[in-house]
Amino acid sequence: MKKIIRTIILACLIIPAIALLAFGPRAKHEVPPGFVELQYWEKWSGPEGIQMAEIVDDFNKTVGKEKHIVVDYMSMTEVNRKVLIATAAGVPPDIAGCWDGQTSQFGALDALEPLDDLAREYGIKKEDYKPVVWDLCVYNGKLYSLPSTPASVALLYNKRIFWRNADKLRAAGLDPCRAPQTIDELDRYSDVLTFRDAAGHITQSGFLPMESWYVNYLCYWWGAGVWDRNTGKFLLTDPRNVAAYEWVKSYATRLGKDSVAEFRQGFGGFNSAQNPFLTEKYAMSQQGPWMANYIYNLKPEMSEVLVPKQLEYFLPHVAREFNYAWAAAAFPSAAGEKDAAFCSIDTLAIPRGAKHPRESFEFIAYIQRPEVMEKLCSLHCKTSALKKTSDAFIRNHMNPYIDVWERLLASPNAHGSPPLPTMAQLNADLKVFIEGVYLLKVDPKKGLEDLQKREEEQYARYNDRQKARLAEAK
Amino acid sequence: MASSKRERREFVKGMAFVSPWFIGFLVFTLTPMGLSLYWSFCDYPLTQPPLFRGLENYRVILHETDFWISLKNTIYYACMALPAGMCVSLGLALLLNTKIRGLGIYRTIIFLPSLVPIVASALLWMWIFNAKYGLFNEVLAKLGINGPNWIADVNTAMPSLALMSLWGVGHTVIIYLAGLQDVPTELYEAAEIDGAESFRRMWHVTIPMISPVIFFNLIMAIIGTFQVFAVPYMMTQGGPFHATYFYTMYLYENAFQNCYFGFASALAWIQLLIVVVLTAFAFWTSTRWVHYQGK
Repeated sequence: MKKIIRTIILACLIIPAIALLAFGPRAKHEVPPGFVELQYWEKWSGPEGIQMAEIVDDFNKTVGKEKHIVVDYMSMTEVNRKVLIATAAGVPPDIAGCWDGQTSQFGALDALEPLDDLAREYGIKKEDYKPVVWDLCVYNGKLYSLPSTPASVALLYNKRIFWRNADKLRAAGLDPCRAPQTIDELDRYSDVLTFRDAAGHITQSGFLPMESWYVNYLCYWWGAGVWDRNTGKFLLTDPRNVAAYEWVKSYATRLGKDSVAEFRQGFGGFNSAQNPFLTEKYAMSQQGPWMANYIYNLKPEMSEVLVPKQLEYFLPHVAREFNYAWAAAAFPSAAGEKDAAFCSIDTLAIPRGAKHPRESFEFIAYIQRPEVMEKLCSLHCKTSALKKTSDAFIRNHMNPYIDVWERLLASPNAHGSPPLPTMAQLNADLKVFIEGVYLLKVDPKKGLEDLQKREEEQYARYNDRQKARLAEAK
Repeated sequence: MASSKRERREFVKGMAFVSPWFIGFLVFTLTPMGLSLYWSFCDYPLTQPPLFRGLENYRVILHETDFWISLKNTIYYACMALPAGMCVSLGLALLLNTKIRGLGIYRTIIFLPSLVPIVASALLWMWIFNAKYGLFNEVLAKLGINGPNWIADVNTAMPSLALMSLWGVGHTVIIYLAGLQDVPTELYEAAEIDGAESFRRMWHVTIPMISPVIFFNLIMAIIGTFQVFAVPYMMTQGGPFHATYFYTMYLYENAFQNCYFGFASALAWIQLLIVVVLTAFAFWTSTRWVHYQGK
């Protein structure tokens, strides 16, 4: 009896296992014989992931079909970490969709294939790109990545809040029909547009520096930088950087650090209808062009003041902006530089040890085609990486102010994150320093001096390691 | 001869049963530990081969301010969360050990939070601690008290996390409860005859009798508090201004953000050493306060 029960149990376990192996789920597509399959890992999920998958489908149906290549798109979180670990394990994806920061970090770690030769072969050259975009793809004189979607950072403002408080703004000598043009003006607009309840709690603010995603890079609007790539010196103690963070501190002092902390606790998530810009928690924000997409999807009425979005394209181009309750302008430069901006890009790279580098580059080169890049950047509501854009790209763009971001990206005063191998560490340290400034725990000048010392030590240690490696190689 | 053949067969069988665990231990624990010990003496950025650098990583660690901040924060958290967790869970277990109606329901209620996934708990507590719309400040406001900014304030962030750690005491309560139910009733009867009131019965009978359980929970809590990572990483990312920057976060950032795997391995070994020292200290003191029934 026992034997029979044992046999039945074993059979119950083994038969489904064999059935699963034989008839279980298979890969979502079969690779036609003679085709090369490329693994493409990307960070985008949600709508942006679906839009990139559309581009991948286009490739598979056209160039891929012709050249016998199939790209398998895989969306994932923390793509940079996964790519690095997979590369170290010798099983990297063929194409990695990362951020510009990884170009220098992974380049320094020898985790990416240089693309110079392939780019030359495919006629992809620096001159075709906006300078800041190309710079972000290069580390140590080598091209390690190419852009997929780039973006610059501008000042977004809520026109409704401006109109509602037009009298107060005018009384303060400010124009309610335009964005602030200097840092001093920005502060004055912000003060007028900040309100508190009877108990003194902030109910609406004009601008909050700590809400910016780019507070680590304020230096670029103050005419300074964080690191000089030519000399290898850190620039953190530059008086202009000190001034930038004194400005951050001034907000904590004026508004009260605890009041701001409490106020910010009431903010909803970025990708939600409770986004603080959409719920009018603040009137002005530092953001990228994609914000137009989020505003339309999460609070459509801000993009349909006159007519529904579908009819907007029938309006004369100059009239389009009246359909919006928000607008964009260059973020003011304390140094008085025209169109100063911070820029970041999404990149495509080939990890070291990828099985099909040539075929992978075929896909990357496809994305660089003007019509493909414009399609992808339109879908993602971003600017184009290329110098030349078609009229249709600007005219039919989802973002009515895309010309502002385009101008900023092409500006000679546009800057990206420096190609510093220890940038990830610097960014983490800057975040803590800025928190300290905002909480009035750190004096900007002293804090930047300490930070500079620390970063110099980190960089020196990095250089020591590199030297030791070179000596070992010899 | 027959017996030795049988013994051998049984030994082979035993080894066959143990082998999945043994192979798993060898491949997934012992080998990585051995490698990480070696890498802790190397510069190892993961994509390049490890380069032996002697004690360099350990020397640098001792000069890093973030190391001391994260260690101090972890000890600070342990000093709050460990005794609070031990006392609250023991207190709850004592309450649940009484004979009252609906005991099963109370036990379930107390155990239930420890079944909630970590991410869900973290999100829930972020709302409870929310200075503007949070439950705590709502209640405090009703009492006319202006509540703090909890996890957004440098001074209250760490105590808030320690307070939150009490949410998951369900498992410890169950272990205490098992220990409490093992205490012979004759001892309580004897103490009662001797005139001992309830506090003295607890102090002189219950505590000594469950001291091995307390000791076990203490060791687990020491290890647990030094491994805290997920909840603060989700709730505060180490902020504000490094107020909740734990040792494990420092280790994780060095490994996966800065790609200093050699450095991170050295940090892991220092962490292990600290836990071993604390555990050894607990074992050393245990001879004075832990009483085993058989001895």
